[in-house]
Amino acid sequence: MELNGDGETSSRRVQVRFKTKLQAPMKVPTTSIAIPSNLTRMGLSKIINDLIESGTSSWEPIPFDFIIDGELVRMSLEEFLLAKGISAEKILEIEYIKAVVPNKQEDPCLHDDWVSAVSGANPRFMLTGSYDGFGRLWEAGGKCTHILEGHKDAITSITVINKKEEPSNHRRKITAYKVLKGHTASVQSVVSHPSDDMVCSGSWDHTIKLWRTNDSDSEGDLASTKKRKVGTDAKEFQLEAEAVSTLAGHTQCVSSVAWPEHERIYSASWDHLIRRWDIKTGQSSWDVVCEGSSLIAAGGSDSILRIWDPRKPGTLAPVFQFTSHTSWITACKWHGNSWSHLLSASYDGKVMLWDLRTAWPVAVIKSHQDKVLCADWWKDDCLISGGADSKLCISSGISIL
Amino acid sequence: MKMPKKNDINNNKKKRKDKENNKQQDQDYKLELELEKEPIQQQQHVFVLVDENAFSNHNNDQEEELEEEARVEESDSSEDEVGPRNTIGDVPLEWYKDEPHIGYDITGKKIIKLPKKDMLDSLLATADNSKNWRKIIDQLNDEEVQLAKNEIGLIQNLLRGKTPHPDVDPYAPYVDWFEWKDSIHPLSSAQEPKRRFIPSKWETKKVVKLIRAIREGRIKQDKPKEEPQLYLLWGDDSNSTEKSGHGLSYIPAPKPKVPGHEESYNPSVEYIPTQEEVDSYQLMYEEDRPKFIPKRFESLRSVPAYENALKESFERCLDLYLCPRARKKRINIDPESLKPKLPNKKDLKPYPSTCYLEYKGHMGAVMSISVEVSGQWLASGSTDGTVRVWEVETGRCLRIWDVGEAVHYVAWNPVQERKILAVALGHDVLLLNTGFGDEEEQQKVKELLHIEAAQDPDESGATSTVSWVQYDKYEGVRLRHPKAVSKVEWHFGGNYFSTVMPTGDSRAILLHQLSKKHTQTIPSKVRGLPVSSVFHPSRNTIFIATKKSIRQYDLQKKCKLVRKLEPGVREISSIAIHPAGDNVIVGSHEGKLCWFDVDLSSQPYRKLKCHKKDITDVAFHPSYPLFASCSDDCIAYVFHGKVYSDLNQNPLIVPLEKLQGHTSTNGRGVMDCTFHPRQPWLFTAGADSVIKLYCH
Repeated sequence: MELNGDGETSSRRVQVRFKTKLQAPMKVPTTSIAIPSNLTRMGLSKIINDLIESGTSSWEPIPFDFIIDGELVRMSLEEFLLAKGISAEKILEIEYIKAVVPNKQEDPCLHDDWVSAVSGANPRFMLTGSYDGFGRLWEAGGKCTHILEGHKDAITSITVINKKEEPSNHRRKITAYKVLKGHTASVQSVVSHPSDDMVCSGSWDHTIKLWRTNDSDSEGDLASTKKRKVGTDAKEFQLEAEAVSTLAGHTQCVSSVAWPEHERIYSASWDHLIRRWDIKTGQSSWDVVCEGSSLIAAGGSDSILRIWDPRKPGTLAPVFQFTSHTSWITACKWHGNSWSHLLSASYDGKVMLWDLRTAWPVAVIKSHQDKVLCADWWKDDCLISGGADSKLCISSGISIL
Repeated sequence: MKMPKKNDINNNKKKRKDKENNKQQDQDYKLELELEKEPIQQQQHVFVLVDENAFSNHNNDQEEELEEEARVEESDSSEDEVGPRNTIGDVPLEWYKDEPHIGYDITGKKIIKLPKKDMLDSLLATADNSKNWRKIIDQLNDEEVQLAKNEIGLIQNLLRGKTPHPDVDPYAPYVDWFEWKDSIHPLSSAQEPKRRFIPSKWETKKVVKLIRAIREGRIKQDKPKEEPQLYLLWGDDSNSTEKSGHGLSYIPAPKPKVPGHEESYNPSVEYIPTQEEVDSYQLMYEEDRPKFIPKRFESLRSVPAYENALKESFERCLDLYLCPRARKKRINIDPESLKPKLPNKKDLKPYPSTCYLEYKGHMGAVMSISVEVSGQWLASGSTDGTVRVWEVETGRCLRIWDVGEAVHYVAWNPVQERKILAVALGHDVLLLNTGFGDEEEQQKVKELLHIEAAQDPDESGATSTVSWVQYDKYEGVRLRHPKAVSKVEWHFGGNYFSTVMPTGDSRAILLHQLSKKHTQTIPSKVRGLPVSSVFHPSRNTIFIATKKSIRQYDLQKKCKLVRKLEPGVREISSIAIHPAGDNVIVGSHEGKLCWFDVDLSSQPYRKLKCHKKDITDVAFHPSYPLFASCSDDCIAYVFHGKVYSDLNQNPLIVPLEKLQGHTSTNGRGVMDCTFHPRQPWLFTAGADSVIKLYCH
C-alpha cells in the first residue's frame, strides 16, 4: 500500500502498522504500510483519515493522537524514533486514539463574584461556590436552577455528597441543612467520601476534621457547603454537628484534601508536605494524593505540576513534573475513568489537559481572562472551570478513550 | 673466606719459609708456643664457626691437627727453596684465561691447569677433610695451598686491623725508667721567664711586614676566580641581579629580536611571501608592515650588503640610551581568588524569585504593607486614603476602609487572636477592628477597642499629648497626636505599640498601652531626628533610629541606654531586627545596607552597596535565613543572611536575587517590602499602586 507520493519520495520511509482500540468505523486495515519518516502527528492523522475515508465514504476527518511504545508522538516520526532509539528497520506498531481536544466552548455562566469552587461530581448538575457567599446549581445549557444561601462569607470549596441521590428531591429552595462547627480558622478545602456520608475538611487552623452527615435523617441532603467563617449563628432548623475526628499533624494551613479511597485521605499543606492519613487510626504517613489510579498529583506555588507514585517504595521524588504553567497552580484533578489524563488550572488564566504519556500539555484552554481559581471534570467529557473573572467556563466534547 | 691477593700470598709464603727455617732449629720451642697460643686458636675457631657453620668438629680434633701441622711443616721444609713454580712473571693472569696451561715451569714445560672443582666437589671436600677451610688456591701456580695456623692468625689480625704479627704485644706494660722515690717537687723550680708573657717583637715585625706586603699587593691571598669566558649570547638576562653594584639596580637592556630562519640568506620556500602578499603589505599601515621581507639567494656570495645595518644599529643605540628603563612590580593574583567564597545559590533555596501574584486595586502609591501573623491576609495602606486587606492566596481584596487621608504605615497586631490593624495617617493613629476571626475573638477585640467617652478630656500629664477617642466612621480607636505620625510598631506581646513623630522633639517617640489606653513618652531624651523605632523581637528593649545613629534602650530599666550603633551613613531610612535579636540591618538614603552584629561591634559587620537610590525599607524573614531590601530604583534585593548559633562564626551573607517588576512613579519605586511569616515569599509595595508577591 503506497501513499500518494507528492515530492516526499526523497525522504526516508518507515514500515508501520496501525492498530487501535476504537470502534468499527474508525478501524483501518492492519497491513503494514510504508510512510515517509518526516511525518508529524498531523500527517499521520491525515493518513488515518484517508484510510478511513476509503472504507467509509461519508467520513468527517477528526484529529488523532499516536502512541508508540506507550508514549505520545509529539514531533516528527524520524525525530521521535531517533530520540527514543527505536530502530526504523522493523515494522513499527503505532496505536492511534482520538485526540483529546476540547471541541466546543460553551457560553460561560456568569456569576456576581469570583467563582472560587466548582464541583462536577454529579452528572446532572454543576455546583459552584462564589465569593458572594452563594452556592449555585447549574444545569447543562447555563441555567441556574438553585441558589444555596447560608454563608456569610466567601465560599472556598464545595463538594457533592452522595452522588446517587435523586436531584428531584430538591426542587425547592435549598438551604444549608447542617453547620459543621469546630474549626477555629477559615476552612480552606472540603471533600466528601467516595461512597459514604462522610465529609472531610482542611483548614487554616492546621487541622483536618472528619464529619458525619447522615446521622440525622432530616430533609434530603444534597449539598454541603463549607463556611469560610465557621461559627456564625445557626438557624434553628439547621443542625449542628461535631467533628467525628480531628487529624492534626500539619504545621501550616491545610490547603487541599482529597479522599480517593475508602479509608485514605491525602492532604496538602502550606508546610510543603503532602500527607496520607489512615482515617481509622488517625495516623499519618508521608506520601501523596491519588485520584483515579494510585498516582498523586500536586500543584503548588511554583508553577510545576508534580506527580508522585505512592506505590513506588523508598522514593519521595515525583515521577513526573510538568512545567508548562507560568504561575501558581490552583487545582488539579484526575479524570474519572482514564488513568492517564488530568487537568490543571493556574493563575496564568489557563486550564491545561495533560496526558501522562507525553511531557507537553495535550490541550491548553484559555477561556479565562483572569486567574483560574478552580476546575473540575463534568460528565467525563466536559471541563468546567471558574475564575476571578466571575465566569464558569465549560469546555465540552472532550473524548477521552 | 676472602682470598688474599696474589702478591700477599707470595710474600706470606716467603715469610713462612723464613720462619720455618728458624722453627726447624728449635721445634720444641715452637711447639710450646703453639700450645701457649691454644686459647687464641680456640677463639679463632669460634670466629670461624660464626662465619661458616660447616666446620663444627674443629675443637674436637685439635691435637690431631697439631700433629699433622708438624708433618706438613716438615714436608714443606724438604721441598723448600723451590720458589714459584710458574715462571711467567708478573703478567696478568687473564692472558692465560683461555689456555689449557697456566704458564711454564723452570724447565720450560707447560704447567697444565688442574681440573676445576665444582661446587659439589668443594662441598664434599669440606665434608671429608676438616682442614679444607684452610686451603686456598694459588692462582699463579695453580695449586692448592694449605695455610698454616700462624698464617691464618696473621690474616685474621690483618682483617681486624691489629698488628699483623701474632707475637707483637701492643699493650706491653710501660716501663718507667725514672726514679720517683722522694721527689715531691717539680724538676726545676726556676721562675717562668718574662718573655713568655709579653708578645714577641720579631713576630710583630714579621706580621707588620706581611700586612704591608698584602697592602702593597706583593702577596696575593688567593687566586682570583677564573670567570667563565663563554656566556649565553641570546639568553634572557632579566634575572641577572648580581650586577647591581652601585646601589642602583641595574636593568639590562632588552635584547634585540633573535634572528630566525626567515632571515637566513636561503630560507625555506614557506618563508618566502608570494607576490600578492608583498602587494598586500603596501595596503597596511606603516607600523603594521613587516620590517623584513625574506628573500632567497643562490649563495652567500650573492647576498648584498644589508642596507639598513647602519640605521638599525643607530636606532638600537637610541633605544638603549634614550629609552628609560624601569622595573615594574606586577603582582600576579588571580582576580577570581580575591572574590569571597560564596555558596551556590541553588543550595540556599528556597528564596523568592518570581512574581506570581499581583494585588491590584489601590489608586495611589502603596506606602506600607503588613502581613497577618498566620499569613492569610495582607494589609496595605496607600496615599489614596484607603486601607485594604487582601487574601494572600488569591489576591482578592476583602476589606476596604476609606480613611480619607494618605496612609503612612499599617501594622497588624502580632497576636493571632487580636486581628487589629494599626494605621498611621496624618496626625492620627487608628486601631481598626478588621472583623476577621470567630465570634469569641471578635468579642474580645471589641472589648479591647471600646473607650468610655468620659475618659479623654480630664486626663493630665503625659496623656494630654495624645487623646484616645472612639473612631466614628469605622469600628476602632483613634489616637490624636500633636504632630504627624510616620510609623507605628507593635511590641511582640501585642499590648504595647510605639509611634514615631519625626517633628515631635522630646515627645517624638511615644509608647502606648492598648489594654489601659495609656500613653507615655520615653524618659530618655532622643538626640537627632527620629526615623524609626522597633521593638526587640524577644526582649523588652527598643531600638530607636535617628538619622545618624541607632540606640537601644532597655524599657524595664527606665529606658537605660544599652548600646549605640554607628552605621556611618548619611541618613538612615529603615531598620529591621533579626528574629533572634542579635543582628540588625539598616538601610540608608544613599542606597547602602549595613549589617550589624550587635554583640560584635558598634560598627557595621558588612556594608552592601547595591541600590542606586534610597533604600525605602529592609526586612528580615521571621523563620527562613532571608532578608530583603527595597529601594526607589524599583528593585528589591533578596539576600541570604544566616546567623549561626555558634558565636564565633560570623553571619553568612549571600546576595540571592534581584527582583524587578515595579515601575517608577513620581521618582519613587518600591515603597515597602515584607516577608510572608511562614513561607519564603516576599511582598513588595510599589509607588505604582501595585503590590507584588514573589514566590520561590
